[in-house]
Amino acid sequence: MFSGWNWVAYGFCLLLNFSSLQVSGGLVQSCGHIIPESPVLALGSNFTALCILNESCLDFGNIYANQIIWKIKNQVVPKEQYREINRTVSSVTFNDTSSLATPLTCNILADGQIEQNIYGIAVTIGLPPEKPKNLSCIVHQVSKLIYPMTCTWNPGRHTFLDTHFRLKYRWPQDEFPDCIPKDVNNSCTITDVQFFVNLEVWVEAANALGKAESDRLVLDPIEIVKPLPPHNLSVNSGILPTVLKLSWENLISGAVMKLKFNIRYRTIGDGNWMQVPPEDTASPRTSFSVQGLRPYTEYVFSIRCMKEDGVGYWSDWSEEKTGVTTEDKPSKGPPIWRIIDASDSLVSWTVRLMWKTLEPFEANGIILWYEVTVRAKSSLSGPAEKYNVNTTNLTLKLPNGTYEVTVIARNRVGASPPSVLLIPASNSKAPVKAVRTLPKDGKLWVGWTAPNSYVLKYVIEWCLVSNSSDCIIEWQNEPGSVQGTYLRGDIKPFKCYLITVYPLYADGQGSGHSVKAYLQQDRPSKGPTVQTKKVGKAEAVLTWNHLTVDEQNGFIRNYTILYKTVDGNETAVPVDPSKTEYTLSSLTSDTLYTVRMMAYTDEGGRSGPDFTFTTQKFGKGEIEAIVVPVCLAFLLIVLLGVLFCFNKRDLIKKHIWPIVPDPSKSNIAQWSPQVPAKHNFSSKDQMYPEGSFTDVSVVEIEADDKKSFSEQDLKPFDLLKKEKSTSEGHSSGIGGSSCMSSPRQSVSDSDEGETTQNTSSTVQYSTVVLNGYRDQTPVQVFSRSESTQPLLDSEERSEDHTGGGDGTIQRQQYFKRSSGQDETNTDRPCFERTRQITPTNEEDLLGFAQLQISGHSSQLLGLGLEKNIQEAALPDVLQTSIEGQTLRPEIMEGYPLSADEMPKSYLPQTVRQGGYMPQ
Amino acid sequence: MAAADSPSAALRRRDLCSRGIRLAGKMRSDVIDLLDTYVERQGLDASASVVTVEGVPVAAVERWDEQTGTQRLLENLTAYRAFRVLLAQMLEEHREQLGDADTGLGRALAAVLLQVSAFAYHLEELLRLESRGPPSEEGTAPPPVPHLGLFERKLRGLGVLRELAQWAVRSARDLRQLTKPSPGSSSAPSWAESP
Repeated sequence: MFSGWNWVAYGFCLLLNFSSLQVSGGLVQSCGHIIPESPVLALGSNFTALCILNESCLDFGNIYANQIIWKIKNQVVPKEQYREINRTVSSVTFNDTSSLATPLTCNILADGQIEQNIYGIAVTIGLPPEKPKNLSCIVHQVSKLIYPMTCTWNPGRHTFLDTHFRLKYRWPQDEFPDCIPKDVNNSCTITDVQFFVNLEVWVEAANALGKAESDRLVLDPIEIVKPLPPHNLSVNSGILPTVLKLSWENLISGAVMKLKFNIRYRTIGDGNWMQVPPEDTASPRTSFSVQGLRPYTEYVFSIRCMKEDGVGYWSDWSEEKTGVTTEDKPSKGPPIWRIIDASDSLVSWTVRLMWKTLEPFEANGIILWYEVTVRAKSSLSGPAEKYNVNTTNLTLKLPNGTYEVTVIARNRVGASPPSVLLIPASNSKAPVKAVRTLPKDGKLWVGWTAPNSYVLKYVIEWCLVSNSSDCIIEWQNEPGSVQGTYLRGDIKPFKCYLITVYPLYADGQGSGHSVKAYLQQDRPSKGPTVQTKKVGKAEAVLTWNHLTVDEQNGFIRNYTILYKTVDGNETAVPVDPSKTEYTLSSLTSDTLYTVRMMAYTDEGGRSGPDFTFTTQKFGKGEIEAIVVPVCLAFLLIVLLGVLFCFNKRDLIKKHIWPIVPDPSKSNIAQWSPQVPAKHNFSSKDQMYPEGSFTDVSVVEIEADDKKSFSEQDLKPFDLLKKEKSTSEGHSSGIGGSSCMSSPRQSVSDSDEGETTQNTSSTVQYSTVVLNGYRDQTPVQVFSRSESTQPLLDSEERSEDHTGGGDGTIQRQQYFKRSSGQDETNTDRPCFERTRQITPTNEEDLLGFAQLQISGHSSQLLGLGLEKNIQEAALPDVLQTSIEGQTLRPEIMEGYPLSADEMPKSYLPQTVRQGGYMPQ
Repeated sequence: MAAADSPSAALRRRDLCSRGIRLAGKMRSDVIDLLDTYVERQGLDASASVVTVEGVPVAAVERWDEQTGTQRLLENLTAYRAFRVLLAQMLEEHREQLGDADTGLGRALAAVLLQVSAFAYHLEELLRLESRGPPSEEGTAPPPVPHLGLFERKLRGLGVLRELAQWAVRSARDLRQLTKPSPGSSSAPSWAESP
């Protein structure tokens, strides 16, 4: 433990010692140093550094060169690069300085344990300057006496070092101070140079790694001057209208430099410059007259200069100055044309003369007025009519004939040559042929084939064809030598133009030849609106209107009809553009079709709105083909039926209207002393006073006997029932059989609620009383029942009982009946019920009541249930129902026969078992 | 004369003469401008007459047309060497007097001084082509400048500039004369035979 601490203390002391420093006399002394000190090295070169230890440190710290470690920054240099020169000197060698970095340190490993820095150096790595290249100089004149010279060069590669450039120049016998660039390394400006002495110029680049010089340039600065442009340029119009005189001042003395010039000019509004021939201005001067200009035209001038011999640089162009040439008389007469309107009168025309304003280069000044002369050709010797016009048109009313019209334009200087136009009686000369158009370079070119005769000139007339505006005629003249021209005017794209070409001859005018043209076509602005004219089973006739000219935007090349069903594919049918109607065929019947129409120009098409239609289910005549035979067949059947009925009328009559014997005419009636009025029962009491019943016939019908009824016996009964059912609507409680009454009617009655109950409690049912006076003819008498019990309810209850006895199926049948309600059948269940009566119990009854609730209105059911309970007190009825085998007389009361039925059971001829027999 | 006989030497001489003439013309133009500036800045009267200044060579000469070429060149060189010294003195005096306050006049003086030096170089080159070489400047050094008052110095400067303007005219004529072919000789100029 002790020895360990000793080693630590020793090391610490050693550290303090090496650290370096020993203090001697107040100065700090290192234990060693590196040679070279802070070197600047060329990139890629090799480099060797020496670390030299002080002798004093050797003795003090036992450190030697073999303990030296070299480090770059914090990385140890491989030992292979070390070399121990002696015991105090160690060297390190780098073959490529690009691997070097700052700092390079010399360190010592004291006792093989502790590494201590001895010394360090900063290494700067860079490149020596390259030879500056491409040295060139120019002398910019900045004032009349000051000519700074600026030289530029290529400084070469980046050196990574502080590199200084100097522009050196000298006369052969004199040196001048160097020009040192500011902020840049590739140019320098010498403030003033002297001409006519050769100057030697070169660039010197220098840094820590070396120095380089450019090639030397020997020049007379006068040869590289870029002078200032001439100034105070002025433009004056001369005597001639085609000449302008320029004057200027030169800013460089003639003693210094003789100059030559360039003069350029253009008209106002024209961007292209024209130039005075350089040879005309190749000598020193301060003025120049520019010739060949147009009269009365404003020109812009500019001038520049350079050394006369062409050595040096052109100056910049001077400021621009304008000048206007003087006026000259118009160079040509105005183009003239006419519109002849012969519609007003047969003997005279309205002639509208039109002429164009002259172009500025033709007018040569301001046109003051036009002189128009009209002379009839038939009387050339006659006086001509003259008009002075300020505008460009003149309307005259002239008798039919041939006229020569001349127009002259006048300005301040003079008159133009006359323009002549013949107004012929008719356009009888040969027209041009094959007029064609071609859009070209944004303009519309019109070409034609010239007629065989010599044409003086052509007039091309055109107008915009539009629905919204009239055809406003524009025109232009072309010389007779051409066979095509561009229309000069505002030709708009997508507009239709009607272009007419007239040839003008010396003695007349040819008829016009017209063509329609577009400068540029587009798709139509809309498609045709198609609609059906007629729709059949498999075809539809479509109609549409042509697009207006404004909508076409081009020549309509074709139409396309597109139609489809709701879920089908679209079918396209091309249609000739001249048509306005088309028949679609092979359509499916009774189908919804959507149809639209597209109009195509050369640029594409556009679709019109959709139109839908449905084809018919039947074709033309199909309905007639079906209906007529059917009607005929029906009529035939009816006719046959009528004939059949007619032939069998007796049989039919027998079945439908059987002959009913009149009882009053019977033999019995003959012996009946008194026959009361058949329906005279208004007063029962009168007819049958209380207690006057002497005999009541009771008919007992045994169930078993029912089977014994022969069909023949029942037939009249059935007929009666049928008749009853047909007149059911008129049946009422009075005399109406509950069997014959429909259940609905019963329900209807019971719908009255309390009222019905009250009524039922008071209504007295009549009972047919068959008076069986043994010695009198039995008559049908209606006896008012004193019972307050609704008869129908009794019936229903009895039915309920029977229904309940049959179980669910029976009840359902009942409901069918009571809600089905084919009232013509209401009599049938009556018999069926009679047949199907089965025992039942109280539960069934209740159950039935519940079923009624579900099948009928609550009011009705409530009533029915209540009645059921009430009627439970009718033991006879219930008993009868339960017993089911015997119908008691009360039952018969429950089924009272109507007055019409009565005779059936009464008739002696139709005596039935158990029936009443006259005694 | 051997050098003068070679085509390149003749070309060189012609070029030197040509540029010398133009330099003389520019020098005259600049000196005229400088004279205006100098008179204005120094507060002198432009019409003031200046007596002949000691040490300033005089341009006027009798029998000018009888001079040989070498003689002309030598006289010119002597004169311009003298002007170079005089102008340098003027520039120094100007700087002492005004410092950097009037840089325009100083710059113009410096420019003229450079032109004088350049013209002297032209003359030396021409004489070198003459195979004689220019005479040493030591023998032609102007006399030391006498101590003068400020006004005298201004007048002296005015005289120097006026005389320089005269010399510029004469030099141009001398050089033109040198470029003219001698009537009795096919190629060699007459001044080649001058003493």
